[in-house]
Order: sequence, then structure tokens, then C-alpha cells
Amino acid sequence: MSDEKAENVSQSDSQVENTKENGDSSKTDKVKVDILLKATGNAPIMKKKKWAVDAEKPIGWIVEFVRKYLKLEADEKLFLYVNQTFAPSPDQIIKNLYDCFGTDGKLVLHYCKSQAWG
Amino acid sequence: MANDREVLREIWDGKLPVCFQLDQEEIMEIQQPDPFYVMVPRLSYFPLVIDKMKRHFLRYISQENADNEMWMDYNGQPLKWHYPIGFLYDLYCGNDPQTPWTLTVHFSKFPGNILLHCPNKDVVEAHYMSTVKEADVLKHRGQIMSAMQKKDHNQLWLGLQNDKFDQFWAINRRLMESHGDNDGFKHIPIRIYAEDGTCTQRLISPKNIDGSRKIIQQLITELYPEKPVKLRTHGITIPLDTPLQWLSEHLSYPDNFLHICVC
Repeated sequence: MSDEKAENVSQSDSQVENTKENGDSSKTDKVKVDILLKATGNAPIMKKKKWAVDAEKPIGWIVEFVRKYLKLEADEKLFLYVNQTFAPSPDQIIKNLYDCFGTDGKLVLHYCKSQAWG
Repeated sequence: MANDREVLREIWDGKLPVCFQLDQEEIMEIQQPDPFYVMVPRLSYFPLVIDKMKRHFLRYISQENADNEMWMDYNGQPLKWHYPIGFLYDLYCGNDPQTPWTLTVHFSKFPGNILLHCPNKDVVEAHYMSTVKEADVLKHRGQIMSAMQKKDHNQLWLGLQNDKFDQFWAINRRLMESHGDNDGFKHIPIRIYAEDGTCTQRLISPKNIDGSRKIIQQLITELYPEKPVKLRTHGITIPLDTPLQWLSEHLSYPDNFLHICVC
């Protein structure tokens, strides 16, 4: 999993860059951070787990991205957790979580289809 | 430990007079509704204190909007229900205090791009508990919250919801104890907001590198090296010599975070 390449979530994004190869992302307009998406409970596994995302995006944007990736129905729920402990607010900015809870250069997010850690 | 009980009590008792007015566009009756005045706890959340207000206005609006999600704005700025009331006031009125705080109530055109949906109070509780857990991860690696029982979590929430200081602090005091052998938290749960509401959250230690207590002056230098700023919370401009650890123990909101406005 760790040798997997980081890829941009947004394919339409003009700056298709790979943060692993292009480590100095601060030179580009948007700072990107690596997130690792791990399935928990009954949630389907994502084939690609590691993604480079715009650090200024809110968590709600990630939730929508995972929902689309997993092709969830509108009535299916999706919960996202940091540190397998708490569910961040959808309007929390990814950078804030990365700065406080990122480890080894990435932010690990667990997702599941039912409430896992209350 | 949070030992200055007078300070805790003073913060807990902080209230704001609010005047709710129904958006003119919503009014379907010939008779204009009276504004609705109420004193609300600064530490609470709007969905917990607006049941009566909602009932007051419901009879004046179009019945087709009656089941819509109600929301509020101040000067055209939609108010996020998941922020504590006192913090919202400090953010939007801190530089120019006005009481009563006059807010406009809406039953249509919900600004879903700005506000989170809040269908019921369970959603507020879930948001609140999650924020307390996040704060505990920062302070004690999450050990205190995970060691607590469900009834302790409930007591925190009920203490806040029902404005019961003793009930709340009987549990919350455990969250305010130092981490391990330290005389302080591992990190300080703190969110600092710019005037446009943008939130910055960083890993902040209560101590300097040399082990001395970090004070607000040093935090400001750390976060704003170019331009010194003032920081406000609970309607107070925080004195520069206030130690961060003391501030966190005494002036955190019930969600265990310091919510601070740059001014």
C-alpha cells in the first residue's frame, strides 16, 4: 500500500502532478497533501487508496469523492474518521487536519457505511 | 486542572440578548409578527435554544414552507449552527458590539453551500461529541474519552443542553487533567478564525522548547510573525501574558476547544 503512487483526485485538474515524484509541491499554485483512504466495517475497499488532494478543500468534498468512487446510492450513508476516533465536520479544511493529525507525510482517513466510532 | 472555579462559572453564565426577526419575504399574514427576544447562553448552540422562537414565527409563514429547515443570518451572513453562539457573536460583532443581537429568520432558500443541515438535535449531539473526542486526541491521545462510559458522555451533553454547570463539570474536569506525568496537555485544542470565518487549526504545545509555559504573546509571534494581532474569545481581548494551558482549561467552550477570533 505504501509503495502505491499518489494521484490527483481530480482528473480535470490542470496540474496533474504526482507529489511523490514532484515532492516540491509548494512551487505550484495549490498545495497538495497525501491522504490515505482505508475501508472499515462493511465498506467496499477502494482500489486506489492514496490520493494527493488540494489542502484547502473541505472534508465534505472528500466524502462526496468517496461516495462517487464507490458509486453509493443517494440513501446510503458514508462516515469518515480521523485517528479511528472522531468524525471531522464536513466544513473542516483538509490542511487543518493534516497539520494536526497527519503522520509520515499523510493523513489517514477511515471510511465506513455505518457509524464506527460514535 | 481547571481550578479557578469563579472563572469557569463566569464563562458558563455568559449570556447574549438576541432579537429574532422574520424575513419580510416570508411573512404571509397581514398582521406583522412581533420580534422574538430571548437571552441565550453564549456556550450553547442555536438549535438548542430556538424551539419557542420557531413556534412563534410558524403561524406567519406560508404553510408550504412550514416543514422546511429554518436558518438565520446576521447582516446577510448565514450563521453556522455547529459553532457556539458566543463565538458567532464575537466573530461577526466583536469589533462593533450591538445588543440585542438582531438576527433574521428564514424558512426558505436554505444556503446549502454554506450551512450544514441540522434535521434534529441528535445531529448537534453527534457534532458536539465528535469535537470533544478530537480535543481529547490532542490533549491526551484520546485516552480520557475512550476510558469514559457512555453515561459520562451523555452527562456532558445533557449538562450543556440543560445548562447544568455542576452536572457538566463533574465529567468535564476529567478532560481538563494533565496528560501523563506532564503539568499540562500534550497539545492545546485551539481554532483561530479570521474575520471571513476561515479557520486555522495547528498543533500547538502549551510549552516552549525550553519547557517554560507558552503565553498568548508567544503564540501570536509563532502564528503571525509578520504582523501582531489581537485575539478575542468570550467577548474578551485575551491579555498577552495569559498562559495557553490556563486558557485551555478555563476558557475553552464545552466542546473542549478554544474558539478564538483574530481582531
